[in-house]
Formats: sequence, structure tokens, C-alpha cells
Amino acid sequence: MFKTFFLSEIKFSLRQPMVYIFLVLIGLLVFAATVSDNVQIGGTVGNVFRNAPHVITMYTTIMTIFGLLMATAFFNNAALKDFDNDFNEILFSAPISKFGYFFGRFCGALLLSTIPMLGVYIGMILGSILGPAFGWVDADRFGPFYPETFINTYFLFVLPNMFFAGTIIFAMANKWKNTVISFVGSLVIIIGYIIAGSLMSDIDNESLAALTDTFGIRAYSVYAKYFTPIEKNTLSPGFTGLLLINRVIWIAAGLVILITSYLTFSFKEKNKKIKVVKEAETPKYRLVTLPKLHTQFNLITDWLQFKSFFFTNFLSIVKSVTFKILFLFSAIILIANLFGGFEYFGLQSYPLTYKMIDLITNASGIFVIIILVFFSGELIWRDRDSKINEVVDATPHTSFISMAAKALSLVVITTFIHFFFILVGVTYQLINGYTRIELIVYLLDFVYTSLLLYIIWSGVMIMVQVLVNNKYIGYFISIAVIFVWSIVLNIVDVQSNMLAIGGRPSLEYSDMNGFGPGLTGAMWFNTYWFLFSLLCLLIAGALWNRGSISSLMQRLKIARKQVPQQYRLIMLVTLFAWMGVAGFVYYNTQVLNTYKTSDELEQLSASFEKKYKKYEKVNLPKITDAKYFIDLFPYKRDVQVRAVLQYTNETNSPIDSLHYNIDEDWKPEFFIPNSDLVYEDKELGYLIFQLRTPLQPGDSMELEIETKSVSQGFENSAGNTGIIHNGTFLNNFEILPALGYNESMELSDKNTRKKYGLKPKDRMPELEENCTEHCMANYLTDGRSDFINVETVISTSADQIAIAPGSLVRKWEENGRNYYHYKADHPSQNFYSFISAKYEIATRKWNDVDIEVYYDKKHGVNVELMLDAVERSLTYYTENFGQYYHQQCRIIEFPRYETFAQAFPGTMPYSESIGFVINLEDAEENNIVDAVIAHEMAHQWWAHQVVGANMQGGTMLSESFAEYSSLMTMKHLTNNPMKMREFLKYDHDRYLRGRSGEVDKEMPLYKVENQMYIHYGKGSVILYALQDYIGEDKVNTAMRNFLEEFKYQKPPYPTSLDFMKYLEPQIPDSLNYLIDDWFKEITLYDNRLNEASYKELENGKYEVRMNIESYKIKADTIGNETRVPINDWIDIGVFSDKDEENLLFEKRVKIDRPEMSFSFVVDSLPAKAAIDPRHLLIDRVYDDNSKTLVLE
Amino acid sequence: MNKLIIHNLSKTYSNGVVALDQVSLEIENGMFGLLGPNGAGKSSLMRTLATLQEADSGTAMLDDIDVLNQPGEVRKVLGYLPQEFGVYPKITALQLLDHLSILKGITNSRERKELVRYLLDKVNLYDKRNKSVKGFSGGMKQRVGIAQALIGNPKLIIADEPTAGLDPGERNRFYNLLADVGKEVIVILSTHIVDDIRELCTKMAIMNLGRIVYHGTPQKAIDALNGKVYQKVVTREELPDYARHYSIISNKMVGGRPLIHVFSESDPGAGFEQVNPNLEDVFFSKINTSNVLV
Repeated sequence: MFKTFFLSEIKFSLRQPMVYIFLVLIGLLVFAATVSDNVQIGGTVGNVFRNAPHVITMYTTIMTIFGLLMATAFFNNAALKDFDNDFNEILFSAPISKFGYFFGRFCGALLLSTIPMLGVYIGMILGSILGPAFGWVDADRFGPFYPETFINTYFLFVLPNMFFAGTIIFAMANKWKNTVISFVGSLVIIIGYIIAGSLMSDIDNESLAALTDTFGIRAYSVYAKYFTPIEKNTLSPGFTGLLLINRVIWIAAGLVILITSYLTFSFKEKNKKIKVVKEAETPKYRLVTLPKLHTQFNLITDWLQFKSFFFTNFLSIVKSVTFKILFLFSAIILIANLFGGFEYFGLQSYPLTYKMIDLITNASGIFVIIILVFFSGELIWRDRDSKINEVVDATPHTSFISMAAKALSLVVITTFIHFFFILVGVTYQLINGYTRIELIVYLLDFVYTSLLLYIIWSGVMIMVQVLVNNKYIGYFISIAVIFVWSIVLNIVDVQSNMLAIGGRPSLEYSDMNGFGPGLTGAMWFNTYWFLFSLLCLLIAGALWNRGSISSLMQRLKIARKQVPQQYRLIMLVTLFAWMGVAGFVYYNTQVLNTYKTSDELEQLSASFEKKYKKYEKVNLPKITDAKYFIDLFPYKRDVQVRAVLQYTNETNSPIDSLHYNIDEDWKPEFFIPNSDLVYEDKELGYLIFQLRTPLQPGDSMELEIETKSVSQGFENSAGNTGIIHNGTFLNNFEILPALGYNESMELSDKNTRKKYGLKPKDRMPELEENCTEHCMANYLTDGRSDFINVETVISTSADQIAIAPGSLVRKWEENGRNYYHYKADHPSQNFYSFISAKYEIATRKWNDVDIEVYYDKKHGVNVELMLDAVERSLTYYTENFGQYYHQQCRIIEFPRYETFAQAFPGTMPYSESIGFVINLEDAEENNIVDAVIAHEMAHQWWAHQVVGANMQGGTMLSESFAEYSSLMTMKHLTNNPMKMREFLKYDHDRYLRGRSGEVDKEMPLYKVENQMYIHYGKGSVILYALQDYIGEDKVNTAMRNFLEEFKYQKPPYPTSLDFMKYLEPQIPDSLNYLIDDWFKEITLYDNRLNEASYKELENGKYEVRMNIESYKIKADTIGNETRVPINDWIDIGVFSDKDEENLLFEKRVKIDRPEMSFSFVVDSLPAKAAIDPRHLLIDRVYDDNSKTLVLE
Repeated sequence: MNKLIIHNLSKTYSNGVVALDQVSLEIENGMFGLLGPNGAGKSSLMRTLATLQEADSGTAMLDDIDVLNQPGEVRKVLGYLPQEFGVYPKITALQLLDHLSILKGITNSRERKELVRYLLDKVNLYDKRNKSVKGFSGGMKQRVGIAQALIGNPKLIIADEPTAGLDPGERNRFYNLLADVGKEVIVILSTHIVDDIRELCTKMAIMNLGRIVYHGTPQKAIDALNGKVYQKVVTREELPDYARHYSIISNKMVGGRPLIHVFSESDPGAGFEQVNPNLEDVFFSKINTSNVLV
């Protein structure tokens, strides 16, 4: 019996097109993602093979989410087919077994629902055959297939996910016998998945997130998060660990649901409830004669008709189950997101209004789109579906009135949702005790961004439905317009917002700078699209299928005959208005302010390199003195720059020409005495000036360069976020043309380079001892200048303060503008920032140094803490490293368009979003805001006093050292070493994740090639561990001595080997292996605590015994890992509490075998034991390092 | 006195079906019956008059309104009950009629309120006014449909098969209502139920295959057949035989045996007896011109 139903279920569906359509759909999607960069599933593939087991697994897991909707169709069909065909009474009265029927159908549907998923494999295999064959993708982007990838992903993800989802859908379908509810079931599963994810954004909750994920996607991500590229290319997911536990949990859950459903399933129909309707005795109304009626047809009638249409449409949406479900889900997502808060490195950001706005946009986005698509179809087809269309069509109203009312009801519905979300947001802010609630910002954001989008989409979709005149094709086209259109534009490389429906410059609200530079453009684009939408509605009104169904051609004919003169006039006026606005927008975004598309930029970069790479090594003078005269006009968004530069020939041969790489936007003008412009390439911006008398070695010359950035009209994108009303932030590299061939213009991605016939980019110069040529340039200024004197005269509007590095020499007012003259106290790197905004200033004196924090008046809350942090850094660094050479330390807030902090000489711009808005009220003494300040402060030594040569290992001397310095200030703030472990976990994670995503080669620390995960992540972990192993003072001594030799020195610049020379003497012989292991090679540890127990001794003390396992692993640059014999010192210890907050005992032991046992005596009751309890070593799986102690 | 003059109205659908073939009619105030079998073109004609469908050629003038080219003007004076009248879900009878009254230009809310109450009372739905229309039975929905066709001051009321689904009581009430309003306006009533026409209409037309095959008063049509209709009870086996020899108008079963009506200028003998013609005979004689067995 089981077999009969099982087979009949499968046979039936195999005769239907659905299963094949789904299979082809998924197959095509995966095929496209395999052979094209324009289609991505869950992010870029990166450097691993396009058919790597990891990629196949990612695609499979993500596709199972889509597969869920398909599964719903199969399971729902299996459960309801007989009911929908009214066959149930016949079937169930036949002698069939309940078991066979129930499970036969279920298993049939289960097998069917996994078939579309096979499209992932088919698409992948076809893609890896056809991709290289047709030359779409290089053959070297594909590796071998592994059969176990397919088998394991099928049994780990496809089958279990379909099974679990199937149990819920099948159970719901059997219970409620309603297709809509079945789909709700699948939505519930997806929402559950999303919520589980948003509740657990911190890495502390990773395991929990992995287990609660019904699809096993997060379990796999945790499992594979530190995979090296080679592992991604070769390893298939296995039946182990968290992944296996996750799968077992959810299969078990599915079984429970399925069995419960089976037990409650019955062939008998429940007695239907019969409503007893009471006939209320109402007095009969009697009116003998018809009232005298006055019909009128004028604007008032139109208005009343509009209102009446609107209300009936609006009510029909509000009362529909679909709307209620969608509304509920979007609200749940928003609230779930809010529960997660705004986490930032273990701290919470204040719930600022702009944070709420972003969240609302994200939470409502997809639901609003679904609502607009779905209900545009519903409303257009409502009359016909209800069979009242002929009556309504025969009434004297203008079709446009009805269309406009439909559009308005869509807009009002979405607005309603939006305002509900705002209410939730405000409530959340209040609950969190945050009272700076900016209702006006909520409102303006709604008007500028969401409202117009709703209006635009409503109009467009109504027109689509009217023109297509078929609800489902209409849905299809609406969805295609939303999702496919942007892909098409991308493929044909069109970036104009005039073609992307609803497109406009992006708006990002900043407390400092409001809605930002894109606002004017956004308003024009909004007008443009609003008129477009109105035009769509007018067209829909004219071509509305009134009366019997007719083709579009017929409707056009009818419209030509029937559309009244007045209506044509309105259409014409709207059309002209739209075209007028379009012309204006076109003029502004395509003529006045041109832009290059990403493909054009790529091409330019490629031809620039091909044409001018030959000049890379041309002899150039160095900038040896610089004076900047800068006039900022923040409200006009204009900047005028005059730079007076001194060039010196520090080479050994005469220099007869000057090469420049210019940015057209800055319109540079050169005043070079005794020179001729001999070459000019306008397209690529390359200029060569010939010096009439060559500059002799050792000679200097003075010249001037003037540039200006004048903003006019508005742009296609938000435009330059560096020059804005409040919070202008520029540096000298932006405002001045680059001297010589600018290597940073080159394309970097090796696959893109290949497309243009370029060889992979030269790697950084190899680290070499006693280097000559390569050490003449540092990585900051790349040989264009060394430590020089810089002065700046900068002016800005009367209500703003302008800041450049150096001491303020003079400040004055002139022509209603503020002028400032700054002069660097000490020769510095020519790396300068120019900032202007309305600031409050907090100051503090530390010895002779002025500590200043420039902040927006809304962001004063953390300023005192920031001053403390600067002071602490100054104290520690001057004590341990050396003198501070500037007379001021400035922290300067700039708007959130960028989220970093950066160190210029004595001056540190710091983004509003990462320090000023973080809630530090309950923060620990060592927190990320402090850490960032300490890091930037450390750069005043490590980067600005000593800076590495532009070669491998260079950034270790600045970034790793700055991270280390910052950690040291943190370490001295707390007396609990476990706090530092909390802090370091982010660095461990950064390193391990980074190496997993490495696209080229992972280098050992001392040869780091500007790889952030190495110089920040690994550098801080290694140096922190080093000071723990050899002593803080030893490390500091090495650094101080190194600094002493190289600070403010002319080239050659130091390399990491120069530092190693100072470090090595500080390391005791017993730990000499650390130099190689940690700095010169890539070493990881695999430490594990296998067993741990304790017993109470007679003297009241406790004896702890632990069996540990420890492996040392060496990795090569592409991630091949091999175990090597171990002979290392590693800590073991015990905690007195379960939360591992109190380290009771710690001892460094020599590990010389992979498995060892230790025992020791502690004074008080231990709770947990651990190997490497403070997480000093790099260990891919750290969780297994500790265990709760058991009593012997 | 309103007057609707239809002249040479023709319509051929894209699939080649001729719905209207040179239809010409003159209709004045009062009840006008449009009789015809299914597919005769009644609905096409009515929908064309109700501005819901285009004609290929011909004209239709309602007084001085060009029906085909001034649909907006027609709609202002039109009451229309389509063959299939549905309702919105989740809306009450009161709300529905109020909405339609607004669409028909009754802007004064007090007038509208009274009108809706009056109409609901007339169609006997007053006590169900706050019930969702969706839950109404077919007959009740049809009554709502009738009520809405009367909204406003229509000059022309077009009702396509209005009595379908009504029980006899409701049908009577409907006819009374129509007769009330029909004195001063044109009411076009299409049906294939002969009795409806006989009871109500002063003028009628019979349509078949898109053509008007009769236009006049019911009585005249009956008179024309006077003395020319004969009937006979025959056996089933004999039927084909009779069909060959006589112009059979109709046959129907009486007591299990076929009763045939034949058209003959003179007494056909052979056991036929003369009967007084009724409208049904007119109907069948007009549409069954090839005298096939129906």
C-alpha cells in the first residue's frame, strides 16, 4: 500500500511540468553563477575554484531555502490533491491503509522535492564543462570534482532540509487543508531561520546560532569559517561535529512533527460547524417614493469617486489574510533585529535615529516589494475576480480616477507599515532610555526615500498589470522589472539612475551632515520618477480594459477614439513636465557632471597601465617642502587649493622632466618655472613637463600647483562625500595631482587583469637585508617625499573650524571667513588631512601637549573618556617608546560616510559612527573606543616617527606595532588577564577568517604584504603573546631601540629584519624557536583538553589532573597544513568559575609529546581546567581547550 | 419621451463569430423585451449599448447621445445589470450600493443614504443591509444587482437575464419594480424565458444568429401566426418522419410522448389539431426557420 501511494505520487508529479520547471530554474541559476561574475549566489566565489566543494556546498545550502517554496508545492499537493479534486470521499471510503496513504504520499513528495535541488549539481557540472569550453571562464578556475561532495551535501542538506520543512508543511496542510496556510508554514520556517540568525550576531553565540539553524547553513559556516583556500578546494562537508548534531536535532524534530501529524490524521471529515444564524427582528424600513435625486458630474464628483474607490480598495487590502501575514512577518523581523541591538565589538551603539532608519528600511524592504507586487495585481483584477467589473465599468467615472485610487491605496498601505515601524523604532529608543528622538528625521527619511519609492513602484506596477492584462504574467513582469532589470543594466554597463526605476543618489543620514550631498540630486530624481509614475498611471487610465476583454491593440484603438481632449492635455502636460525634468536631470548627471561606469574605469586603468607603466622607474625629484593654501566653501561644496612645493633632486643624475598623473575633477593648473608641457593625455590624465634646464643632483626648485573642486548642479550618485556642508575631510593625495606614474591606479584582481591581457600584478618587493633601492621609499609616501616641513593656511566659512596638522600659528577673520595658519612642529611625513565642520572642542593639557577633541555638539557623551584614552596612550608610549614630537593630539570627528579612524601627524580624524555614538556607560575599562584611540595615537610613533620601507613586512612596523601598543594600554587598565582574552578573540577571529578568504598568498608576519588580517589580526596576537612569553619590557626595549635608530631618518627606511635584529637579543635561548614559528613562518596550534579531574586533598587543597593533546602545525602560503613535532612552552591552568572569568592557577609547561598529562595542587575549589587558558596561541578550534573538572 | 435608435449595428469577433449583423431597432420608453436563444447576440447588443463593447459599424443614438462615441455621456444615464453580477468580498450591501451611487454621480450624501435605503427596501434586503454581500445567496445577490441598476436617474436600463436565479416571488417583485420605473425610461430586458416578455413588455424583438428576426409588439407576432399552428402527439419513432414532411416549430414532451407544433398555412390533416398560437410558437417559428428538430 505504501508503495502504491509512493509511486503514484511520483508518477503523477513527473507527468506535471512543475518539477521540471523548478529543476531547470535552479540549474540555470547555478549554471549562470558558475560561468559569470554578474550572477552571485551568497557572495563572490573569490580565489577558490568555481566548482570547489565549498562553493558547491554554499550553493546547495542557499538553494535549499528557495527549494523550500518548491517543496511547499509538492507537500501541499500530496496532502490536498484528493480534497481539492473532491476525490477524498470516494478514496477514503475504499479500504486503504492509513499508514500507506500517509507515509506513501509524504515520502513521494519528499523525494520529488529533492529533485529540483539536483539542479545545483547539474548546473555546476554543466558550467564547469561549458564555461571553459566557450571561453567564458578560464579553465584554471576549475578544479576536480569529488563524488563525496554531491553525496554528502545531498544527505546533509538537501534531504534533511526538505524532510524537516516537509513535515511542517505536510502537517499543516493535513490539518487546515488550505494552500495559503501551507505557504504560511514555509514562510514561518524561513522567518525562523532569519530570526535565529539576527538574534545571534556576536561570535560568542556562534555555536548556539549553528544549532538553532533549521537549514544547517550556519552550522556549516561555523564548521568552515577558518577553512584555508586549499581546504575549500578539497574538503567536502562531513558527518561530524556541530553540523552532525544540528542535522540530528532537526531530523528528530521533523520526526516528532510527522508522527504527531500521523496520529491526528484521520480519513473521516470532521463535522463541519454549522452557524446558527439568528434573524434579528429589525423594524422594516418603508419609503414609498424614490427620493428626488440630483446627480452631478464635476470635480466634486471626481473627488468623491476617488475617495470611494480608495476606501474600498484600501479596506480590501487591509482585510486580506495575505496582508496581515506579510505585515506580521515584517514586524517580527524588525523586532527580532532590534533585539540584537547594534553590536560593535562587544559594545552597543546608542539607538540613534539614523540606525533605526537603516533598520526600518532593511526590515520593510522585501515585504514592501512583495506587498506592492501582489496587491497591484489584486487591485487591478479585483473587479473582474469579483465579477462586478461590468457594473463598475458602466458607471460614469474616469478610469484614471480608479487607477489613481488603486495607486494611492498601495501607497497608503505601505506608508501605514512604515509608520508602524517608526512607532516601533521610537518605542525601542525610549525603552533603551534614549531620548534624542528625531521625529523630523524619521519623517524626512520617509518622504525622501521610501514614500517616493512606494509611489513610483505603485504607478509602474499598475501600468504593467493594465498593459499585460493577465494577472500572473503581470506578476512575472513586475518581478522581472524589479530584479532582472538591474542585472540587465549591469550587464550592458549602464549606471544612470535615469534608467533604474526609482533610482536616485543614495542618501545616508549623518548626525553631522544631515542627508548628505546626494539630497538635491535625490529630490530631482524623485521628481523625475514621480512624474514617470504619474505618466504610467495616466497611460494605465487610458488603456484600462473597460468592458469586455480586448487586446492591447484594440484598447489603443478605443483609447484613440474615446480618451477625452482634457485627458490628452493632462497626459501631454505630464509628458512635457517629465521630459523637461528628464532633460534637466540628464544635463546635470550626464553633461555637467560626468561619471565613468565601472567597466569604463576598469578599461581606463588597464590602458593607463599599458601605456605608462614604462615611466614607473623614471627619475623624479622629491617634495622637500610643502605649503598648502586651501579655501573651503562648505556650503557651496567648493574647494580651492594652491600648493607651493619645493622639489629636490635626490638622485644621482639630472632630472629633465616631471611626470604627473592628474584627476580631471580637480582641474589642476601647473606653474613650473622654465618648463614646457610636452605631453598631455587628457583621457588618461597623464602629463609630462620638460624642464628647460634639468634639475641637477642636489638642486632644488620651487613650483606651484593650483587645483579646485567646484560642485555644480547634482550628480548621478551621491557625489563626493569628502566635500560637504558639515564635515569636509580631504587629504593631500586627493587634492594634488600625483607626481609620476601612480601605481595605485593599476587593476589588482588577477582575473580582471587577465581579461585585459595583463599579467598578475607585481608582488611587493621581496624582503631583503641591507637593501638599497627598495628601501629608499616608504609605503606611506612611496618615495615622493620623506620627513618634511609642512605649513597650511586654510580658510572656511564663518561658522566652521578648519583643521590641518600642526600647531595653530595664527587665526584671523577676513571677508566673513575664518582663516587658520598651521605649522607642523617637527618634520613629518607628507600625509596631511584638511577638515572643516561646526565643532565643539574639549581640551586637556598633558605636560606640554594639548589634547583636543573636536566633536559635533550632539556627540559629547564619550568625549571625556576619549581624552582619558589619549592621555593614557601618551603616558605609556612616552615612557616605553620615546618622545612625542608634536605639541597637540587631536581627535576630530567626521561624518559616517567612512567608518575608520586615521592618524595624520598629531591629528586623528575619527568617524562619528565608531566612537562617538557607542554606549560606554556600562563598558569595561578596556573597550574598543579606547583601543581605536590608542591605536591611532600609537601611529604617532609607529608610522609617523618610523615607517617601514615599501616592501614585504613594512606594515608590521606600523600597524602591528600600533595594535600591540594599543593592547598594552588596555592591559594596564585591567587587572584581570581574562578581560584581555575577551578583547583578543576579535583579533584571533580576524586573522583566521582573513586567511580563509585570502585570494593570493598568506605571508608570514615579518613578510606581510599590506594584508590587514595579518598586520592587524595576527600581528596583535603574536606580539601580545610574545610580551607574555618574554616580558613586556623586553619587547618594549626592542621597539624603543629600533625606534631610536630609525626615527625621523632619511632613507634608507628600515625593514622588518632591522627590527628583528633588535628583538632577537631580547629573547632567551629557551624561546628562540618563537622567532621562526611566529614571525618567519606560519604556525598554528591544535590544543585540546581531553580529560580533567580533581580531588580534594586532606590538607584542604585540591589536586587537579589533566590530559591534554597538543599539535603544532605549519602552513604554507596557500593553506596546506602539516603537523610538526612539538617542543613548545604552553600554559595550562584552572578557573574557579564556569564562566572562565577568574584564573585560579596558571603554569607554563613544556609540551614535547602530542599527548601529555599534568597534575598540580591548587588552594581553592577549581571549576574548569584549560590548556592555553588566556588564548595566547593561534588555534582554529579554541572551544575544546577547556573542560569542566570532574571529581575523581 | 426617450428614444434609442440603433442603426445597422454590426460586430464580428476576431474568431469570426458574427455577434451582431446589421441590427437596427427603435426603442422608446417602456419595457422592451429582447428574446433569443443562447448565443443569438443579445448580450453583445446589450454590452454594446452599455458601452462595454465596441461595434464594428453602425450607430446607436440615445436621444442626442451617440452611444458608440460618447460612452461617458451614456454612462451618466445608464442602469446596467449584467448577466453575471458578482460582489466584492468583505463589504456590506449598504457599502456596495453607496459606493456605486457615488460612482453614478450622486454627490449629496443625504440623498444617497435615502436612495440606498429605498432601493434595499424595494428589493427586500433592508434588514440584511449590514451583512457582507459575499454571504448572500444567488437570488439575494441578484436583487442587489437589480437595486444598483436603478441607482441614479437612468434614462436607459439594460438588464441582461435579470430573473435568472430568482424564485417566483422574487421575480414578481422584480417585475413590479421594473414596471414602476419603466414608465418613464427605456428598459431593455433580455431573456430566453418567453413568459417574462409576455407578462411585461409592450414591445419586443427576437434575435437569432446576430440578426433581428422580429421587431414589434408581442401581440402582433402572435396574431400573425393565428390559424397557422397545429399540434399533434406522436411517437418518438415517427418524429424524423414528421420532420421531413412538416415545418416543425417545436416539440416537447407531454406525458412522456412528443407533442409537436407545426406551421402550416392550411390544415395539414393527419390528426393535427389547430391551436391558438402563443409567444413560444412565435419564438420558435422565428428562430427555427430551417424547421429542424429541437
